Amino acid sequence: MAETRTLHLQQAMASLVLDADEAALEADPGRVARRHGLSGADQRAFREQGEAMLTYRELARMSLIEPLETMFPVLKALLESEARWDPCVQAFLDARLLRSGHYRDIAPTFLSWLASTGWDQERWPFLLELAHAELLEVLVARFPDGDPIEGLHAEPSPGDLVVLEAATQIVSYRHAVHQVTEAAPVPEARPTHLLAFRNGEGEPRLMELTPATAALLVQAQSRPLGEAAAALHIPDLAPVLKLLNDLHRDGAIAGFQPST
Amino acid sequence: MAQDRFTGVGLGLRRPHLELVARMDDHAVPFWETCPENVVGDGGRQHRLACAILDRDPVLTHGLTISVGGFDAWDEDYLRDLGEFLVRTETPWHSEHLCFTSVDSNCLHELLPLPFTREAVRHTITRARDLQARLPVPLLLENITYYADLGAAEMDEADFITAVLEGADVGWLLDVNNVYVNALNFGFDPKEWLSRMPLDRVAQLHIAGHKKFGDLTVDTHGAEVIDPVIDLMQWTLASLGRPVPVLLERDNHIPDFDILLAERLRLQQAYDTAMATMEVRHG
Repeated sequence: MAETRTLHLQQAMASLVLDADEAALEADPGRVARRHGLSGADQRAFREQGEAMLTYRELARMSLIEPLETMFPVLKALLESEARWDPCVQAFLDARLLRSGHYRDIAPTFLSWLASTGWDQERWPFLLELAHAELLEVLVARFPDGDPIEGLHAEPSPGDLVVLEAATQIVSYRHAVHQVTEAAPVPEARPTHLLAFRNGEGEPRLMELTPATAALLVQAQSRPLGEAAAALHIPDLAPVLKLLNDLHRDGAIAGFQPST
Repeated sequence: MAQDRFTGVGLGLRRPHLELVARMDDHAVPFWETCPENVVGDGGRQHRLACAILDRDPVLTHGLTISVGGFDAWDEDYLRDLGEFLVRTETPWHSEHLCFTSVDSNCLHELLPLPFTREAVRHTITRARDLQARLPVPLLLENITYYADLGAAEMDEADFITAVLEGADVGWLLDVNNVYVNALNFGFDPKEWLSRMPLDRVAQLHIAGHKKFGDLTVDTHGAEVIDPVIDLMQWTLASLGRPVPVLLERDNHIPDFDILLAERLRLQQAYDTAMATMEVRHG
């Protein structure tokens, strides 16, 4: 690459922002320039403007961390209770995964990183579920708008498949992570099934489901309603049809289509 | 002509105000500025409200994270979506910051300063020309606030900006608050600085509030615009000798909409005064 010095200066700035060892950076801001092979003059510029250079570290880290603190307040409270929040955030920054220029993607990227690394999940087995539940409504609220699905009808019948709205999610957790608070961030160990959807106004809504209803909503997307209900030993279809009508009216279900 | 549609003082379209603005058709805001990164690919109620306003009112677009001076390959999918968005909004131009925001494919979500070097000028000109070729509307570049030179400088900020704007042959989104903040931090006269600059390239102004932290003044977009910055805006408009749209930026500590409208009106009055003075002078 022709413009190497410019690239190395930018890489040195990225290191200054993201690197873990703040004390070492404060002691010698020129070390990042040295590490990226920059000349003595460039190292001197980093060193002589140390305070201003470290302002960039503060500003950029604030930009990157603020959405995590906003989106995951209970997770933060949990991890802070054992001084694990800052190491968690630093480990995430060290992974350098923020590819997207959309600010709204920072929190989902963090959630994916928690899932792929299993960060602190031996200590807190519910940690990933908790983080997912904290972000769930936002993910549903901001799910990209798509074209309406064609060819659906509004009244369900036993031979139909259920078609959910694109933003709707059915999630199952092993803990009641939707009931935690910053003051009480440890959830009860209890299987929990949630339906997250956007209502007609586009506002996110969360509904707790029974295990049977959750299973029905999942299965009836790929097999006829009547067949799914029978497989789940649901004897009476009438209340099921009423619930599906309600969910269609409330915006969770896009409609119904005959199984072919 | 685009300039006819875009004069006066506009506002940035912000999420806390969407519900209210969508219901108002007499807000008196001549135009909105929106960040495509915050709209493209989004969904839900707030997104629908934003789109309804952008389809109804005049709009200018202002990007945050395309990293004009960086080295990462363009995100082709995003550029395609951005192009469609620019066409949909009928913006007369699209502005980006003269900075870098991503390194080794990692977005830092901060406007970081480019080195004031001949090498960085060459590199940024190439990138800006390439970006311009991919956009359906003219590209403007905005001068940023900076708090330190990135590496050993070979020229000053004014020469760097001028070289890039001239070399890339793009327009200038002149942020007068950024000039004022840089003048405070680096100890120069902002009017003298502006007198050296290619003002014929200016298509739009930005104005905002800032805050002092210790010895450093930071461009926070989180406070009211102070009188010396308003004076600099008026001085700049007079120097330009033509009306260009001014955008009031407010991204932090966002006040209620009526307070923001009142600040816009204060700036609009200052803008009108500058225009009236200009008309008398050109008589």
